[in-house]
Amino acid sequence: MSDDMSGDPQVTPRASGGRAPDVFRPGGWVPMRSYRDDETVDFVIVGTGAGGGTLACKLAEYGFSVVALDAGPYFRPLEDFASDESEQTKLYWTDDRISDGANPLQLGSNNSGKAVGGSTVHFAMVSLRFRPEWFKSRTLLGYGADWPIDWREMWSYYTEVEQALKISGPITYPWGPKRPRYPYRAHPLNAAARVLARGCEALGISWTETPLATLSAPRGLAHPCVYRGFCVAGCSTNAKQSALVTWIPRALAAGAEIRDLAMVGRIEVDDRDLVTGVHYHRNGGWHFQRARNVVVAGYAIETPRLLLNSATGRHRDGLANSSGLVGRNLMTQSNQAVWGLMDDEIRSYKGPPSLAITEHWNYADKGKDFFGGYAYMSQGPLPQLWANTLAQARGLWGARLVEEMTNYNHVAGLKIVGEMLPQERNRVTLADEVDQYGLRIPRVTYSWCDNDRRLIDHSLAFMTRALQAAGAKDIWTQDDDTCHLNGTARMGDDPRSSVVDADCRSWDIPNLWICDGSVFPTVGGVNPSLTIQAIACRTADRIRAMARRGELTGQRAERTRRAVHATSASA
Amino acid sequence: MSNDTDWLVGAGLALSAIAATAMLQPRGQTKVTQVPASLPRRAGPHPRASVRAARRLNRAAGLLAVSVLADSSVEHYRGSFKNKAMYTPLAVSALTLAMSAHGTADRRPWAHRLRDGSYLLAAATGLAGTGFHVYNVTKKVGGFSWQNLFYGAPLGAPMAILLSGLLGFCSERVRDTSRAQRPHVFGLPAARTIAAVTAAGLLGTSGEAGLLHFRGAFHNPFMAVPVTLPPIGAALLFNAAARDPDDDQNRAHPLTRAWMWLLAAMGFVGVGFHAYGVSRNMGGWRNWSQNILAGPPLPAPPSFTGLALAGLAALGLMREHPDA
Repeated sequence: MSDDMSGDPQVTPRASGGRAPDVFRPGGWVPMRSYRDDETVDFVIVGTGAGGGTLACKLAEYGFSVVALDAGPYFRPLEDFASDESEQTKLYWTDDRISDGANPLQLGSNNSGKAVGGSTVHFAMVSLRFRPEWFKSRTLLGYGADWPIDWREMWSYYTEVEQALKISGPITYPWGPKRPRYPYRAHPLNAAARVLARGCEALGISWTETPLATLSAPRGLAHPCVYRGFCVAGCSTNAKQSALVTWIPRALAAGAEIRDLAMVGRIEVDDRDLVTGVHYHRNGGWHFQRARNVVVAGYAIETPRLLLNSATGRHRDGLANSSGLVGRNLMTQSNQAVWGLMDDEIRSYKGPPSLAITEHWNYADKGKDFFGGYAYMSQGPLPQLWANTLAQARGLWGARLVEEMTNYNHVAGLKIVGEMLPQERNRVTLADEVDQYGLRIPRVTYSWCDNDRRLIDHSLAFMTRALQAAGAKDIWTQDDDTCHLNGTARMGDDPRSSVVDADCRSWDIPNLWICDGSVFPTVGGVNPSLTIQAIACRTADRIRAMARRGELTGQRAERTRRAVHATSASA
Repeated sequence: MSNDTDWLVGAGLALSAIAATAMLQPRGQTKVTQVPASLPRRAGPHPRASVRAARRLNRAAGLLAVSVLADSSVEHYRGSFKNKAMYTPLAVSALTLAMSAHGTADRRPWAHRLRDGSYLLAAATGLAGTGFHVYNVTKKVGGFSWQNLFYGAPLGAPMAILLSGLLGFCSERVRDTSRAQRPHVFGLPAARTIAAVTAAGLLGTSGEAGLLHFRGAFHNPFMAVPVTLPPIGAALLFNAAARDPDDDQNRAHPLTRAWMWLLAAMGFVGVGFHAYGVSRNMGGWRNWSQNILAGPPLPAPPSFTGLALAGLAALGLMREHPDA
C-alpha cells in the first residue's frame, strides 16, 4: 500500500511533494503542480468546499495559477470512511466556538465540514434550485433583500453544476420554470420516501423524487450508489458527488495546487489596500503564500472570522468591512421535523436520507402567515443520531430510550429546510479566547424572529397532517433543529449595504473575493449547496471576463481606467 | 400475506389452470391431417423444409425461454419471491425450454401435444405475468409514473415468455401443416405471420431495453445499440412479411437475414457489456453475489438472439415456400 497509509491524514498533510491522493484508487496518487510560498500565484483560495473547490477548478481550467488551502485533511473515501457515526465525526468542524443568542445554534454535524471538499464530503446531496422570485424577494415578495443577480443567469449556472455533478433527478420537476433534464435518473424511493408521497397525495399537493448529487449509474471510476445509507457520515463508495471527487480532481488536472491541513489565520493587506497573500499554518509552522488575489471560501462562520481576524490599523473593523456588515445577517435554516410510527417496517436508513421532497410551500404564496418558504423531505436518521434525537428532543434516557429505539425500524419522519430571514443582530463576532492556532475564536449569536417561528409552526402543523394522512401513529414534533449557514458577507448592488458585488468581489479591496454561502442575501427554503456552486461557476466566468479586459489587478475598472497588466489567463 | 397477494396468487393459479387444461385437451381434428403419409403430394416444396423451419422456431423459443428462466430467477430472487406466483415463470420457462429442446431434436412432421400445451401455458404465463407486473407498478404510490416504470416490476419482461410461447406454438402449426399447400397459422401464411410476430417482439424488447437504458441515463454510448438496431430489424421483417408472395426475385431477403444475424450477435455481445456493467458497481465481480443483482441483468440481452433466430426461421420458410 501507499506510504501515507501509516500516517494519519488528520496529522500529516497528504498533498505535498508534487502529488495528491487519487480518491478513486486505493493508495493511488495523482500528480499535482506545486508552487513555492514566494511565488506569487494568481489566486489563493481559502477553503475547498462547494464555493472554494468549485472556484479552484474553474479558475485553474481557465488558466490561472491557483493554490487552494483547506484546514482539514485530504481524505481517501474508499479507505478512510467507516460505517461508524462516531468515527465519522472527524468530518465536522469541531474547533472551539462560542454559540449564544436566544436560539443558540448547535454547531458541528449539519452546518460545517473540515476536510478537503468541505461539508460536501458529508452533505445530504440535496441539490435544489432557488425559486426564481427569491433572487428578488424584497421587490417581488416583500421580505429580505434582493440579490444583484438575475435568476435567468443563475438558471444556466445551475445547469452547469447539475451536469458537473451528474445530479440524479426526476424526469419532470413539478415546480418553477422549465429546467433541463437532470443528467441521471432519480433513485428508487425507499419506504420513508413513499410515506412522504402518500401524505402529499392525501393532502392534494405535489411531490417528487429529490434531485440528489449521488450517482444512479456509473460515472468514470465512481460507482453508482449502493444505498448504504451512510451519506451524511461520508460516502465510502464515491457515489456521492462531493467537491472532493468532482471539482478537486478536475482542479488538480488543470494545474491547481491543493494544500490540506493548512489553516489560514490572516490575510495580508498592503498600504494600497490590496491584499498580497495569506498567512497559513501547516506542518507545525506559519507560512506566507503570495498571491495577486485572495478568495475567502470558509463558509459563513470561518469567512467573517478570517476577515475580522485580518484587521489592520487601516482596516480596524476587519477587511472588506466598510459597510459594517461582515459577520452580520447570519442565516441558518429551520430544520424542524415531525416523526411517527408506521405499522409496516420502514427502515428509513436504507438509501440516501431524503429521497422524496415537496417544495409546495416554497412555491405557494397563499395560505401562509409568514414570509419565505420551506421544503420538506423524507428522513433516514442513522441509529446514533436517532438516539440523540430522542434523548434531546424528548428527554428519553435509560430504559425508556432503549424501549423507544426498538421502534427504530418503524419510524418515518418529515423534515423541513425552512427559510429564516436575515437579521443584522444574528452575527459572527470574535471572542477573546484563542484556538489551537492562537487565533481568536468566533462567537456565533442567533435568535429567531417572529416570522421564523410562524414558518416553523406552519410547517409542523402541515407535516403533522401529512404524516397522519400517510397512516403514522404516535406522532410527535421535533421543534428545535437547524441546518446550513449563510449570510455574513452578503452580496449586493450598493457598497453601503453589502460586502461584495454580484461577482463576489469585495467593495473595499478589489483583489479580495468571497465565494461561499456567506454571500447569500437570503437563503430560501432549499439546501444551499447547488446555489453556492452555481455562484462559484459564475464568479469564475466573471473573473475570466474581467481578466481579459484587464480589470483584475489593482483598482476596479470603474474607479480608474488605467491599463493593468492582466493575469496569466489572458497570456 | 396480504389479501392483495392472495388474490394475485389465485389469479395466477387460475390462469395457469386454464393453460394446463388447454394442454390436455384432445385434438382429434388435427390428427386427421397428421397421419396419412400416403396422400397425394400437392404442388409445393418438400415438407422437410417446413419441419426444418419448425425446429428452428423451437430453438428460438427455447433460447427465449433460457433468457426468461435466468432473468426471472435472478430478478424474482432479488424480489425475495415475495409473492408465490413469482415462481411461475421459473417453472414454466424451464418446461418451455425442455419442450423446445425436444422440438428442436424432433424431425417428425406433426405437432406434439405436450409441446403444444406447454407453449400455450408459456403464452398464458406471459399474459398473466404482464397483468401482475402492471398491477405491481400501478399499486405503488405515484401509480403509472417513471419512478414505478423504472423500479417497479418491468412491464415488458413477461412478454419474453409470451413470445417464447407464441413462437413455439407457431412452430407446432408449421409442422402440422407441413404437408399442406402452404404452412399456415390460424389460416394465415405461417412464415409471414411469424415474421410479423417476431418484428413486434423485437419492437417490444427494444422498448424494454430503451426504458431501462434510459433509467441508466445511457451513460455508456453502447447502450443506444439495442434501441437502434432492433427497430431497423423489425422494419425489415415487417417489410418481408408484406412482400408479394409471387415476387420470386425478392424471396431471399439477404439484407433482412444479415440484419437478423447482426441482432443475434448483438444479443450475445450484450451479455458481455452487461458483465462489464456489473463490474462497475462497488466491489466489481469480487462482490458478484450483490452486483449481479444490482447491475444490468446478464440474461436479458439474449432475448434479442432468440427473436433474431425466430426471424431467420421465418425468412428461411419464406424462401422455400413462396406463399408461406
